[in-house]
Amino acid sequence: MWLSSVFLKTLRDYRIPIVGWGIGMGLVVVSPMASVATLLTTPQAREQLVSLAATFAWNADVVAVDTIGGYATFKIGVFIFLTAVWPLLAASRMLRGEEDRGSLDLLLSLPRSRLAVALEKLAALWTALLAMGLLIGLLVFAGGRQFGGDFGFADALLFGVNLALVCAVIGGVALLISQFTQERGPAAGWTAGLLLIFIVLDMVRRVIPSGGWLSRLSPIYYYNLSKPLVPSYGASVGAMLFLLALAVVLSGAAVWLFARRDVGGTVPLPRWLRLPERPATRALPVGDWSLRSVYARSLGTIALPTLWWTLGIAGFAAWIVVAVQQMETRLPALLSGSPTVSHLIKNIGGGDASLNAGFLSAIFVLLPLFLMAFAVTQVNGWSADEQDGRLDLVLAAPQPRLTVLLGRFAAIASATVVVGLVTLLASAGAAAATGLTLDAGNLAAATLGMIPLGLLTAAIGYLASGWLRTAADTGLLSFLLLIWFFISFIGPELAWPEATLRLSPFYYYGTPLLNGLQLTSMLGIIAVAAVALSLGALRFVRKDIGV
Amino acid sequence: MAAMIETERLTKSYGGKRGIADVSFTVEEGEVFGFLGPNGAGKTTTIRLLMALLRADNGNARIAGLDCWRQSLEVKRLVGYVPGEPALDPNLSGGQILEYFAHLRGGVDHAYLKQLVDRFELDTSRKFRQYSTGNKRKVVLIQAFMHRPKVLILDEPTSGLDPLNQQEFDLMVKEARDQGRTVFLSSHILSEVEKTCSSVGIIRDGRLVRIGDVAEVKAIKRYEVVITFAAAVPVEAFRRLDGVVEAELLTHGHGVRLAMQGPADAVIKAAANYPVVALTSYEPSLEDIFLRYYEDSPPAREAHDVA
Repeated sequence: MWLSSVFLKTLRDYRIPIVGWGIGMGLVVVSPMASVATLLTTPQAREQLVSLAATFAWNADVVAVDTIGGYATFKIGVFIFLTAVWPLLAASRMLRGEEDRGSLDLLLSLPRSRLAVALEKLAALWTALLAMGLLIGLLVFAGGRQFGGDFGFADALLFGVNLALVCAVIGGVALLISQFTQERGPAAGWTAGLLLIFIVLDMVRRVIPSGGWLSRLSPIYYYNLSKPLVPSYGASVGAMLFLLALAVVLSGAAVWLFARRDVGGTVPLPRWLRLPERPATRALPVGDWSLRSVYARSLGTIALPTLWWTLGIAGFAAWIVVAVQQMETRLPALLSGSPTVSHLIKNIGGGDASLNAGFLSAIFVLLPLFLMAFAVTQVNGWSADEQDGRLDLVLAAPQPRLTVLLGRFAAIASATVVVGLVTLLASAGAAAATGLTLDAGNLAAATLGMIPLGLLTAAIGYLASGWLRTAADTGLLSFLLLIWFFISFIGPELAWPEATLRLSPFYYYGTPLLNGLQLTSMLGIIAVAAVALSLGALRFVRKDIGV
Repeated sequence: MAAMIETERLTKSYGGKRGIADVSFTVEEGEVFGFLGPNGAGKTTTIRLLMALLRADNGNARIAGLDCWRQSLEVKRLVGYVPGEPALDPNLSGGQILEYFAHLRGGVDHAYLKQLVDRFELDTSRKFRQYSTGNKRKVVLIQAFMHRPKVLILDEPTSGLDPLNQQEFDLMVKEARDQGRTVFLSSHILSEVEKTCSSVGIIRDGRLVRIGDVAEVKAIKRYEVVITFAAAVPVEAFRRLDGVVEAELLTHGHGVRLAMQGPADAVIKAAANYPVVALTSYEPSLEDIFLRYYEDSPPAREAHDVA
């Protein structure tokens, strides 16, 4: 039955993401409900929570955050990025990915119009998004029942549908961009960049009240107009219909272009936008440094992604430093009457929340998380290279397998060092430019201290790739990252035992911005990474390649 | 001549799935050895074992006396390899790929590399993902030949090449043979093996079923002849002739389809007794040969050496 049409076959391909992503994202929404339920015990605590949320108003709208539904809506503000990852990957793969693999040629050789094929695939993608939205809605409803939320079943479902709609818009953007790129990777990359811009544009109205018109350019703005989990606020039917219309227009334009262009080609750009044609040559690039060894080649391969991740992480760090400096005078007053809030920040940041460094420390713990996410993407590349046969010829050259593995790992290690160093320079520069006083040693510890965590993630990924295929390896690492995140960021709020907290590498990262580098802990992380890498290497030199 | 490639009871399975079992053969130095078999017979598994990309469950493989797994580094210095499905970094240009592998190998003569690029008329500026199947194959062939290896291990090397480049490839194999180098060429195209190889091994269902010189394989090669006549003919007139294995009447009764093995002299002379309209001879695919030749016989436990 599942192979009887393009629609059903595509939907079948999405069955694991529907369940995995649906449940995963549902849990992301439900988890703040669990943590906030313990904080909303007294009217004072509610007030404190509201004042804490006000501090983060740049991140998301502060609406009824002293309710279960309001707090969950507020908390997932910036996590919309996480939710949109699957649709942007799936949409960029939907047509362009299949063209890359050549599988679309065969499909289009059947007596079926291009338009029909594209529309069936699009319908499957939207059905998958809707199914995910419904799954998220069900989990949110269950979470609301469990933790005393005041929203109903229809509200929970509307919340899921609103998420599905904004994801359909992001998917539409990816699908449209993929009509102009030769591969799916750049389409996904450009869409991710645009998504970041959309998120920042939406933030503008919260930071600069006069800049509200800019926010209206972002689909995230229209998503945020609906807050079904806050019954007093409700959902905006107009905004949801606008998102639906936007998704239809973007995806419709993509399908229209697809039906008119060469399969395997791109929509022709205007002459002034085209790169100049390279003349045919039989010359060899003799002086290219990136071709001299496995390490150099690996470095060359990851240079561009490293640049983007470095800009993102270092930019985020510098931005937070500037934001904290701007809140410098307001912060102590804001937090002076909020012991619970101060406690919350102290739990994460590790110091007195009224101090800039303490507040900054609470935000800076996100940096290693980002670096570890970068490491996950690089492990994915290593595993995919083996699975897709790209290592065969390299291993057929007289290069020891160990050299190949270590060369690749060394490139990731170099990239993490670059990210750490640039982040240090960017945040130190931002602090110096804004006049924020930070301990230079602790700042170095906070930025460079994340490097071992990135290495640990990569080493575990390399070890697991000895047995697991790419999707499972990446899935395992992402799951570990999620679990560690919950242990370290939610665990203290739920008063989890010390032994549980110690299971997360973030525990060993500590709060370096306040307390400096915990050398023993860092050495411990490095030692565990070294053991994981050694076991991974041992496995790699003995295993069947590509099996 | 010394043995250059040797396998002894080489066995590999993928979990519960069949790979190859008890494959034993020897390829002498300077020999061009064709490794024939239908799809999924175990050709690529054997080659990946020789290249130490897989580890044998049992048995062993040696190249130039060196153990393919334990001394893989030394082995790979001697070998040029073309994989069955070449996968390379799609964002590197052909030139970058060749330069990269030249560095990984070390000691590559760039003048010779340039000659190979010219010989295949490869545009080195295009990215690998932009190449046609044939051009991708050219890149991989050049990297296999560029260090003048003692042994060439080629897994269906001409797949996707146009006739002109196939001719160039045949010439390169001939030159390699003339220079005393050993070539192990896997293929499912019988004519290619006939053209370039001095000896062949045939693998079926993971077992080596036959090994010998090309002439022996030719003996098992059947071909098909279809003769159309101006009027109806009795099929019995052809059934018992020398070289005819099977004969059947075409549906309209004005022709015969003959499965042949050996010379066609008797058939031509018999056909001359009737008004011939057309005569067509087909070379069946190796798959057909396998199906016909082995349909009633299980694979041998050991390779039958008919050389």
